[in-house]
Amino acid sequence: MNAGEIVRVEGLAKEFRSGLGLRRKRAVDGISFSVREGEIFGFVGPNGAGKTTTLKLLMGLIRPTAGSATILGHDVGETAFRRHVGFLPENPYFYEYLTGREILGFYARLSGVPGRRIRERVETLLAWVGLEHAGDARLRTYSKGMLQRVGIAQALVHDPSVVFLDEPMSGLDPIGRKEIRDLVLRLHGEGKTVFMNTHILSDVEMLCDRVAIIVKGAIRYEGPIAEFLHSDERKADVVLARVSLELAAGLDARWGPLTGRGEHVELHVDEKAIHDVLAQALDGRAEVVSVTPRGASLESIFLSAVREGGDAGPGGPP
Amino acid sequence: MISPVGIAVISANTVREAVRSRVLYTLLFFAVLLIGTGVLLSTLTYVERERILQSVGLAAIRLFGAAIAIFVGIGLIHREVERRTIYTILSKPISRCEFLLGKYLGLVATIWIQLVIMGLAFVAVSWLAGAPLTHQIGLALGLAAVELAVIVAFATLFSAFTTPMLAALFTTGLYVLGHLSRDLRDLGARSDDGGVRLVATALYRVLPDLESFNLTTQALHALPVSGHEVGLALLYGAGYCGALLALAVVVFDRRDFK
Repeated sequence: MNAGEIVRVEGLAKEFRSGLGLRRKRAVDGISFSVREGEIFGFVGPNGAGKTTTLKLLMGLIRPTAGSATILGHDVGETAFRRHVGFLPENPYFYEYLTGREILGFYARLSGVPGRRIRERVETLLAWVGLEHAGDARLRTYSKGMLQRVGIAQALVHDPSVVFLDEPMSGLDPIGRKEIRDLVLRLHGEGKTVFMNTHILSDVEMLCDRVAIIVKGAIRYEGPIAEFLHSDERKADVVLARVSLELAAGLDARWGPLTGRGEHVELHVDEKAIHDVLAQALDGRAEVVSVTPRGASLESIFLSAVREGGDAGPGGPP
Repeated sequence: MISPVGIAVISANTVREAVRSRVLYTLLFFAVLLIGTGVLLSTLTYVERERILQSVGLAAIRLFGAAIAIFVGIGLIHREVERRTIYTILSKPISRCEFLLGKYLGLVATIWIQLVIMGLAFVAVSWLAGAPLTHQIGLALGLAAVELAVIVAFATLFSAFTTPMLAALFTTGLYVLGHLSRDLRDLGARSDDGGVRLVATALYRVLPDLESFNLTTQALHALPVSGHEVGLALLYGAGYCGALLALAVVVFDRRDFK
């Protein structure tokens, strides 16, 4: 393991067998990547690409067919080092007969938090995830968003140095997603390493330092997110209202095809040109409805990786 | 190395789950009801009333104890995998072996707590009816506890790799066979055919001999029970549980949680 590497994956493969072992599906096909200390690493891919299978391999929930993986220098088959690891599975499930406080106490004890510190950690984590008011209610009464927060809290209750999150924004409303984003940034600020499985590119752009794109079980790209963000290819969608015919013709001629959406018109322009577009629109007495940056480069790399993966490579998980 | 702390945390939580389960209270209620019913049954006869009362009571304890052990045991591990609660647990510093042993010991503790409650009901009914409370009854209840630990070990093994339905089928089948294995051995011994004798002996060696834990006759008739007999039964039970749990750990350790 190189200095500063928290996670190292080399030639990791997983084959699932079904139908009495006669049918085989290779969900992960000899992938290699590394995660460095203190970074937020985005593991990106479409549904069924092998993201969750990879995470389960890292968590020791499934055994690899080939290859190796280490976390903090320990083989993932070991147990003791997990006191430094936090894990949030996708759509987490918990013992419904326990209360929020009880479940966090249970995980704290399992993680080896000293008895005298358990109460303090539980209360801190409940406050962190905004569940202090519901700490004494049984989990069967919790909403999906509240369970996701319990999931985050249990992943952090033992103050791990590296945290693995599988689709952490899954099923959350916009406020919940924002809170999780803030939490991830807070963990980053505390120097923790975060590994995040997701298929939401905007989250990746907003949060991650580096990214790996996995398609059909194979890594198609791995690199720093900054390369995308400083790319010249970034685009933005500009939506305008009250556009006169004269202005529409001018915008169309200068900035490319104008598309209509009810009373609104939309332009897809380079990010560098936004200022000029808006100036022309406002001069023409149009109303600016919205300006939405598009992660064109990450999106385009992602899409081209998915398209390439469609031509070759193994199948997704069973 | 196995950590007792992880095992204790999982065990304690398994007991807590049982304590909060209404189904177990219902089963326990019916068990206590059946023990009490012995009073009614004993009024149907003028002779040996106390013996009938205690016979029904001990039978109820053994039967309901086994029913509860099978009913809860068959889903013990499967439920954790199916509901995916195992994902977050195994991501903590606890091995699969510790998890499985914790679940097993937690369920055994639960079943033994229920055995104590049923035993207390039995003692109360016997006392009210004026039936003798001999030390053999205590030994019979003690060995019933060991038998239940063996049944839970079977249920845990099956629950580690198959569905509750199949686990129930296998465990119940072995429970019934376990009480017939001595008859099978005796049947083989009486046969003139060497092959039959060999098969019967082999089956007896593999199948559990649950009658080793049955001291009902000695308890009801206050017959002497040797320490040697009890010691052998305890050793046999411990060895059988150990072997079943070792097998369960091997099976469980190789599983993928998809």
